[in-house]
Amino acid sequence: MSGAAEVFTAGALAPAVDQDEALERLATVVNTGGADAMDAFVMGRTGQYTRFADGRIHQPQDITELQVMVRAVVDGHAARAATSSLRGLERAAAEATRMARSLAATASAPGMAAVASVADYPEGNCPPGEMLRYASTAAFDEGARVRVVRKAIDAAAAVGGSAAGMIGRALSQLVVATSAGIARATTATEAMAGLTVAVDDSTSHFIDLGRSADRLHLGRAVSATVAQAVAGRGRAELTPGEYTAVLGPEATAELLEFLPGFGFSGELAAAGVGLWSASAGQRVASDLVDVADDALVDLGLPLGFDIEGVPKRRVPFLGAGVVGSPVTDLRTAAQLGGRSSGHAHIAREEVPETRAANIGMRTGPSTEADLIAGVERGVYLQRFWYTRLVDRTAGTITGVTRDACFEIVDGRLGRPLAGMRFTQSVLALLARVDGVADVARTVPVMNVWNGAITAPAIRANGFRLGAAPLKRERGTA
Amino acid sequence: MTQSTTPTTAHGDPTGRSNPEAHAWGEMADDAGAARILEQALSAVGADVDFADVRLIEAEELRLYHRLGADPDERIEHNLGIGVRVLVDGAWGFASRPLNGDADVVAAARRAVAVARAGVGLGPPVRLPTRPGTSGNHRTTVLTDPFLVSDARRHALLAELLAGMSGPSVVRDAQAGVNAKRQHRHYADTEGSRQHQHLVESGAMMVATAADGHDVQRRSFPNSFHGNTGGAGWEFVLGLDMPGNAVRVGEEAVALLTAPVAPAGTADLVIGAQQVSLQIHESCGHALELDRILGDEQNFAGTSFLSVADVGRFRYGSPAVNITSDPTVPGTRGTFGFDDEGTPAIRTPLISEGIVKNTLSSRDSAARAGLPVTGAARSDGWAYLPVCFSTHVHLEPGEGSLDELLDRLGDGYYLDDNRSWSIDDRRLNFQFGSEIAYEVRRGRRGRLLKNFSYGGVTPQFWGAVEAVAGPEEVRNFGYPCGKGEPKQWGFLSHGAAPMLVRQQRIGVA
Repeated sequence: MSGAAEVFTAGALAPAVDQDEALERLATVVNTGGADAMDAFVMGRTGQYTRFADGRIHQPQDITELQVMVRAVVDGHAARAATSSLRGLERAAAEATRMARSLAATASAPGMAAVASVADYPEGNCPPGEMLRYASTAAFDEGARVRVVRKAIDAAAAVGGSAAGMIGRALSQLVVATSAGIARATTATEAMAGLTVAVDDSTSHFIDLGRSADRLHLGRAVSATVAQAVAGRGRAELTPGEYTAVLGPEATAELLEFLPGFGFSGELAAAGVGLWSASAGQRVASDLVDVADDALVDLGLPLGFDIEGVPKRRVPFLGAGVVGSPVTDLRTAAQLGGRSSGHAHIAREEVPETRAANIGMRTGPSTEADLIAGVERGVYLQRFWYTRLVDRTAGTITGVTRDACFEIVDGRLGRPLAGMRFTQSVLALLARVDGVADVARTVPVMNVWNGAITAPAIRANGFRLGAAPLKRERGTA
Repeated sequence: MTQSTTPTTAHGDPTGRSNPEAHAWGEMADDAGAARILEQALSAVGADVDFADVRLIEAEELRLYHRLGADPDERIEHNLGIGVRVLVDGAWGFASRPLNGDADVVAAARRAVAVARAGVGLGPPVRLPTRPGTSGNHRTTVLTDPFLVSDARRHALLAELLAGMSGPSVVRDAQAGVNAKRQHRHYADTEGSRQHQHLVESGAMMVATAADGHDVQRRSFPNSFHGNTGGAGWEFVLGLDMPGNAVRVGEEAVALLTAPVAPAGTADLVIGAQQVSLQIHESCGHALELDRILGDEQNFAGTSFLSVADVGRFRYGSPAVNITSDPTVPGTRGTFGFDDEGTPAIRTPLISEGIVKNTLSSRDSAARAGLPVTGAARSDGWAYLPVCFSTHVHLEPGEGSLDELLDRLGDGYYLDDNRSWSIDDRRLNFQFGSEIAYEVRRGRRGRLLKNFSYGGVTPQFWGAVEAVAGPEEVRNFGYPCGKGEPKQWGFLSHGAAPMLVRQQRIGVA
């Protein structure tokens, strides 16, 4: 464990912005701006990434990004302006105020926008520094990463294969101030690794990330990925049909990523659409399925508060299979008559929407090998690819299997399988989970800043493989 | 360092005027100011590098959304920074920084060199063929600056769209938005290239979601994925006729709730221009990216079913299939004068009469594969390395109207506007769903159907294309596209006309 000071001096992983200066300047601008209310945040990320393929490092990158965003509220109408350095903060505040005034001037009624107040949202249970910042990540510099890359490339070459991947570290910062008294700042390390080993027609994949580089266990990961790629040679076609499936942690995580879109986002809940609106409090999944967005646990990418300065609360999606609550921001919480859970988010090219950012599934007592051992005839699926929502009501998605997938025969991995299309109700599958493994891994959530999903391997029957037409099915326990 | 040898001006502003609002944030005074910073970065890199290029980019983006039951959401985002790429003893290095002062320029340059040195000796050294420097300016032709359109006009447009879409009570959610971006992209390299580009984009979107307790359906316009954005001014938004389509969008979302589910089986299809554009993107554009073909993206975005040896001989589709990369087409997203490593924009046939002719390539990938550089090295601003992204990649039109194509179809289905999309990591096995579909009997549209989907294998699908509609049916669709690690956005477009495809598997999801 390490404090921020150690991290900042342990090499070239310097923060994108001086945190104290940022907090002071944000606090000043939100309290002296010309709007009724104002909030502002600074989001910084210093990232160093060693990307390799074809026996070489082809994209080594050192990227520092900074976003400074101000939201001004005039007569309940809000507008935002952002820039990429603290130098533009006052200009951003002026732009946001100008736009908010324009909105207010043409509106027929007062708006509903507000900023978070320290009275309504006092300091929450923010993760302590030792859960956010690790010296092992600060030490994970170019030299250390190149050594891992060399090991992966050499290990793959030794079995006649090749390795491709990305290994990196980052330092993320979030600083927020509101004109209603909130002033919060946090800094967190992040270490990440993704590796694909190809041998003949076979590929195997590893991914994990978290605050600590030590927890990636990269030596073991390289060996296991190479071994699995070797075992996956000579892929065979599988007859389409329904199979008992053991999903690896990454495959499980990909299914769970759809949960917010099934109705656990504030927008869907406020519109009366989706699972929470239709089935709150009802059992829809196996009681082994316990999934929550929880940014306060030492798992995935914890972080204490959102861009509105609201402390994050644990939000249960499926508590022992029972439908829990949606994530909210200030706006959707007001629509639903509650308090924000701290999940405001703004993504590039998108309408601002609530986002679950640190989804985790509770692990179980079994090993992955135990899960496989309990299958007489079925499939092991390591990874999915290009999964897309097909039917929000039924929770149906489509996608393809990718990398190391195997038939399971009499409790053991059998012949390796070629990639295959599937169309499957996630909810129906979660209703049929009968085993959860004891080790979880974390994957990033695309287009969500600091977004991650942590999941273990699971086992469920009735996974439909193949592009055959299917009838609608709904998850029920 | 080679001196600039080929002054180039592409698609200049016909008025010859500069836009005084283009630097509203006052960061970059002009091209000369940017040029000074580029030279400072090249100097800081040092003389002992094999190659270096520097990109300085200032971008400003405006987004306004109206949503049913919510306050309007408006934001403006300004972004300025520098990215430095170097080749040191055959090893690449890259570093980027937001620009807050001279120290950031020097820091980026030095870190790029340090990052490269850490990887020297790992794998075969990169040897980039030298080329003469190319210098010039490029500016998007803009009739009406979208940043000068009044707040009142933009809000009035979106309010009108929301009112139009949300008439029926079962429309539970509706959104409408407009967006604009202006970028000043400045480039310099150690071969002598000095380039300045001033790009403008404008776009709009709307989507209605209807729900009745049993089903949820959505309709969108003009593109189901992030609306549509062109390389143009506000005139692009006006040309979309958003108000003329709003009521239809809402009514169709409602009608879909009670429409019969599309059947499964095998059928002949006429696929509308928007869905064709996505088909091009997923099953042609990505498959033809040379970095994927070489395996650079294997860990994340995937590879391609094509190999380098397939270029020039592989039959990708029927003789009716002609696909071209052309970033010189005015008005489209992904139009530019130079790509992000300084290659001048060029029109390149990718697939001619069904045969693969070229790939979407960068200098590095082309050198490794022994193929031509086609000017497709593109990045999401200053922060990221250029990778092989599509440009404006389009399906060349054939002949005839949509109605004539439906007539030729006879019995089958007409579908359009993507609802879901999925394709494997080699870009072979795909499944697409559409927002809307109609039965077609004897060449005439019949019943509305919901949840239509079709799937297949890429070369078999394109091999079954019997005809493509004529130029009068061509529509261009701008897209954002994700790739790379860390993931970055590419901004591009696909032009398409409706096409007739025989014997496709339908009802696959």
